[in-house]
Amino acid sequence: MQEDFHYYATYCAAYLAGFNHKESMDICYSAQLVDLCSRTFLSKLRAPLSAATTQLQLEMMDARTDPIGLQDITRIWASFHFLPYDLYADVKKKAGKQYKNKYRLICNTNGDLLVDTVALAKDKGAQAAGIAMHILADTWAHRYFAGTPSLVINNTNYYFYEIMPDGTEFPVAFGHNPSAKDDLENHKYTNSLYQSTENTIMNLGHGRAGHLPDYSFIRYRYLPAWGDYKEIIKDNPSDFYHAFCQMIYALRYLNGDVSEFEKDTYAWDIAEPYKDEIMAIIEKRQLNACDDWKSFGEKLSGEEIPPFELSKYESEYTSAEKTEKNETFLGKFILAAMAQKSMVTNKIFKSGNSLAGFSIDFAEKGFAGIKDYKLLAEYLKGGLGA
Amino acid sequence: MTKWQRIENFIIGIVIMLGGAVLALAGSESVPLIVLLLALSLVITGLKMLIYYFSLARHMVDGDQILIQGLILFDLGAFTCTLTNYSTVYIMGYLIAVHAFSGFVDVTRALEAKRLSAPSWKLNFSTGVVNIILAVLCIVFLRSESIAVYIYSAGLIWSAIARIITSFRKTAVVYITPS
Repeated sequence: MQEDFHYYATYCAAYLAGFNHKESMDICYSAQLVDLCSRTFLSKLRAPLSAATTQLQLEMMDARTDPIGLQDITRIWASFHFLPYDLYADVKKKAGKQYKNKYRLICNTNGDLLVDTVALAKDKGAQAAGIAMHILADTWAHRYFAGTPSLVINNTNYYFYEIMPDGTEFPVAFGHNPSAKDDLENHKYTNSLYQSTENTIMNLGHGRAGHLPDYSFIRYRYLPAWGDYKEIIKDNPSDFYHAFCQMIYALRYLNGDVSEFEKDTYAWDIAEPYKDEIMAIIEKRQLNACDDWKSFGEKLSGEEIPPFELSKYESEYTSAEKTEKNETFLGKFILAAMAQKSMVTNKIFKSGNSLAGFSIDFAEKGFAGIKDYKLLAEYLKGGLGA
Repeated sequence: MTKWQRIENFIIGIVIMLGGAVLALAGSESVPLIVLLLALSLVITGLKMLIYYFSLARHMVDGDQILIQGLILFDLGAFTCTLTNYSTVYIMGYLIAVHAFSGFVDVTRALEAKRLSAPSWKLNFSTGVVNIILAVLCIVFLRSESIAVYIYSAGLIWSAIARIITSFRKTAVVYITPS
């Protein structure tokens, strides 16, 4: 998903869930920040680099794909953009452990980790809520791909067709120029280059399907590399509407209006009066739906939704004293991001899968490992900033 | 990283570093050895692709392509091993491709980091410039055996140092049970 959904649609969902304008702005700002909080951004703030929630395109090109580099990539992408559905999934009988570990990182909706993610954000503020909403929404857009570089899971081939609203189909023509704009009229899209190396960054997530999973209007069918030649029909308008209604429900839980967050539950009733309007935005054939979602959000709240500005909270963070940083907007985002990454890494590690790296349980073994997490440990134990 | 992976990484790093130093000291005498190393790397890549096919890619749609590519690379490497007439141009071609690509990526990354006002841009920019200078040197001295050997050896020593540093890095993520 992109800014239109993570920022503007998340604002709408938060407002419909009962948050006021200011709270909704904080939530949607945090949801969108997940796509921009890279190591480059954090190094500018002199903040812990382990809080990175994404990698810039050039950071990825430069990223090492040795085991340590791969674990770092997997931690970021599996924790925030491709939440694994079932870490203990049954795989083909003859498949080895290496294949099983990759297969089990495939993202899908309504997994156990989604419940853990939303529960982790409870009572942790707008930043944690925004991060959780980003992850939840991405489970719908990015389903069937894994947040780890893998040819055998994430590859696609020539069998890729766009399905138009009237049922006609067009073969998708993929090119590889990253600066080329997708051409909706002629069904020409950009995807990552085919490389036969398993762990190359080109095979991360939905790179081989281009931006198609991120467009709300599109429907397509293709053969996923892991699917034994069985095609998948991806209906994004339906998935994006599900995501929107599930966000409202999850935010109502975070707001205290619902006592428990359960899988496969949606706030259909709250969205129903606006369904036609929402579906019209979702199904409109356009590369970016920001303007439409913005208008809808402003109509809902009667307030202006300013455009996302990355530098908005930078000076508050950089000028704060060391002991006060955790109480700033970005400080809270950083802590929430590290908590999420730590939780997902731990679940993956405990399932016997080392693709996201090693996890040390603080309660059992005390502090050891990456130094950045000391910040989180001290904060949660009532140290810094408490 | 497990303890064994750290030890393995460290030992491989030391071996590569010593190998790089020996090649540099031997000067142009080591050209046949470098060509042999490049040929062997093709053989190993081919073998790795065959192993990859049998362990992972056979489960994948279109996985047969990996099998075919592995066989071709293995065959090409085996053929190169049998060549008796070595040419520095092979080594230079390899070095130009590697350094020009790394240099391009580093400089582009530095420019992006600079745009975001991140301090890391200076380091990226300088490593990018060094890589591009090395690629240019390779083009200028396309037929110089000693330059080819020195640049190849320097690349080996650099990757060995990176490997050794990695083996000492703390890599585990700390998990704090939510309260």
